[in-house]
Amino acid sequence: MSSQALSQHKERFELNLGPQHPATHGVLRVKLLMDGEYIVEAEPVLGYIHRMHELMGENRTWAQYLPNMGRLDYLSALSYNLGYVELVEKMAGIEVPERAEYIRVITTEMNRISSHLLWFGAFVLDLGGFTPLLYAFDDREQILDLLESVTGSRLTYCYYLFGGCYNDVEDDFLTGCLALIKRLRSRMPMYHKLVTGNVILKQRLEDVGPISAEMCRKYGATGPVLRGSGVNYDVRKNEPYSIYPELDFDVPVYSEGDSMARYMVRMDEIDQSMRIIEQAIAKIPEGPVMAEKVPKMIKPEPGDYYHAVEAARGTFGIRAVSEGKNKAYRMKLRSPTFSNLSLYQETSKGMLLADALALMGSLDLVIPEIDR
Amino acid sequence: MGSESIPSSIVQLSTVDKVLEIGRANSLWPMTFGLACCAIEMMAAGASRFDLSRFGAEVFRPSPRQCDVMIVAGTISKKMLPAVKTLYDQMPEPKWVIAMGNCAISGGPFKFDGQYGIVEGADTFLPVDIYIPGCPPRPEALIEGILELEEKITGNRRWPRVESGLSQP
Amino acid sequence: MNKENVIQELKALAAEGMPDEPEVASAAPEAVPEGEEEAKPKKKAAPPEPRKNGLLEVDYAVKGVHVDAQVNSDQVVRAAQIADEAGMSLEAITGVDWIKDKEMEVIYDYSYTGGECFRLVVRARIPRDEPTISTISEVFPGANWHERETFDFFGINFEGHPQLEYLLLPEDCDFHPLLKDFKGC
Repeated sequence: MSSQALSQHKERFELNLGPQHPATHGVLRVKLLMDGEYIVEAEPVLGYIHRMHELMGENRTWAQYLPNMGRLDYLSALSYNLGYVELVEKMAGIEVPERAEYIRVITTEMNRISSHLLWFGAFVLDLGGFTPLLYAFDDREQILDLLESVTGSRLTYCYYLFGGCYNDVEDDFLTGCLALIKRLRSRMPMYHKLVTGNVILKQRLEDVGPISAEMCRKYGATGPVLRGSGVNYDVRKNEPYSIYPELDFDVPVYSEGDSMARYMVRMDEIDQSMRIIEQAIAKIPEGPVMAEKVPKMIKPEPGDYYHAVEAARGTFGIRAVSEGKNKAYRMKLRSPTFSNLSLYQETSKGMLLADALALMGSLDLVIPEIDR
Repeated sequence: MGSESIPSSIVQLSTVDKVLEIGRANSLWPMTFGLACCAIEMMAAGASRFDLSRFGAEVFRPSPRQCDVMIVAGTISKKMLPAVKTLYDQMPEPKWVIAMGNCAISGGPFKFDGQYGIVEGADTFLPVDIYIPGCPPRPEALIEGILELEEKITGNRRWPRVESGLSQP
Repeated sequence: MNKENVIQELKALAAEGMPDEPEVASAAPEAVPEGEEEAKPKKKAAPPEPRKNGLLEVDYAVKGVHVDAQVNSDQVVRAAQIADEAGMSLEAITGVDWIKDKEMEVIYDYSYTGGECFRLVVRARIPRDEPTISTISEVFPGANWHERETFDFFGINFEGHPQLEYLLLPEDCDFHPLLKDFKGC
């Protein structure tokens, strides 16, 4: 099939996908060398939303850098907040009260569900189905209402502070979360029946874009991309942080490695997040939400420190080099989709263009996080 | 009314112009030009809860040839600048620009000494009609921006403006 | 994955790079950076041992990695091969500009995804005037983009890289923003 098509050079042409395109989620440009309908070479070009968070990390104090974390991956901003705040707490030796830890986990998992719902809607929109987007946004708006009542913002949250959370949660919030989970549990079978079981979706996703576990290891891919290729690695289980060791949840792993496996991993993760939230709400203790003695100017010991958390898209890591001042000397942000996209060039050789777009959607890209 | 500068034609129609303006204002077709975080709030405004299609602006077209209004939602970087200008030039007249979010108004939270990569505001190279502040602005703010644009085009506001509570009973 | 094996091999590698006496052994012209580079392996080759044996958990809780190894700049490929043979994956490559020491540091982060929790960081120091280091993209293809990004920000030249161009900055750019003497443009 492809070797015959590729040998006839008179059908080759260059096609430019993006930077403004409805199917690239953000400003990504892909330089395609096409042979008819098949891709010979696909090279992603980045940098169209490069805002230089790492330089801002050197110009801002540790506390002034908090809002930047929400603008990296705005769909699951609370996980990024969590990673940064836990890193600084590690460096400065600040203890967090238990109620604050539970609140952090509950809000982070709600954010993960809302991120996966938006991915679900946008992915099916790329493949051509418009209606699941509206249903997914409807569910997502309910989550956003709850989170807004606690944090004050809908999208780019900045809710965690060094030593705890900004606000306490009321009981209304907790009962609201439980009601939301009950509603979502009744909606998920509808999504599975109408979308996952749809014969068109199955034909478009099964056996499309196979990524092997070895390839994931070589490129550093993590998150649902890695779990869809059969590797059971989740930072919440393998390198636990916060109160995840006390909660009981499974990590969904599918071994086929195609786009359908990555799709199923994310849908199952929504169910597991709901389990986590229910357990956390049942166990949440009373108490303060902010540590007592948090220094106003944080000046960590010189050296470099690393912390990794599980964001909705993979392992988010921060490496901070400190010189003992109240600003970082170097702030390196390891974004999961950067490594996930780096395997796109090799995987998409010889694919049909429509399949390559399905593969890109299943990688769940957020371009401002890649460009930082 | 408003201050758009359409090149004057030889035949001037006055009442039909008003009808045309009402038609244009009630069916603004935006371009899907979400660059960063504000794009998500634009999508949420087009979804079923906030529903931009009540105001005629539901049809988000990816192609600039079919749009009236370009909603610049997100930070414009210097690498992206030629693409934005090309897209603006490709839109047919009459066309409007809404700058949504702090980044499109003035560079937003990314403006600092030593920032080399972003353009500080869409109005440095585009004629912006409406500014919507916020980081990101709520979908209701985007709807208010569309209503302001309609007022700019026709001179009348579709819904009366709700004052901020001081004069309310 | 044999953690002990990895640690032993890395210790041997780091020891290999250290000269016997604290003198200029290779053809670097300046004495000060060379002295720094030699002093560091001596200081750093000792800490991985006690961290592994006794203080490992505490240090992982503070520093976020289990083993911290520093090698010479011509040994990074061998260190990457050791990590590859142990089944680890590459998380990130980055650089730090130590302008006061007139050196730059290239940091490689590896992690093990096969079950056991193990994080490894490998560092190498290179002179600031001629920042050159060999690429590890033969061993880990994922290093391709990480090295391009480090080139973007610091100007470090990765020898043998198939496509060392600007990744995040525009193509016609001629500055490296994360150098400490960058003043904006």
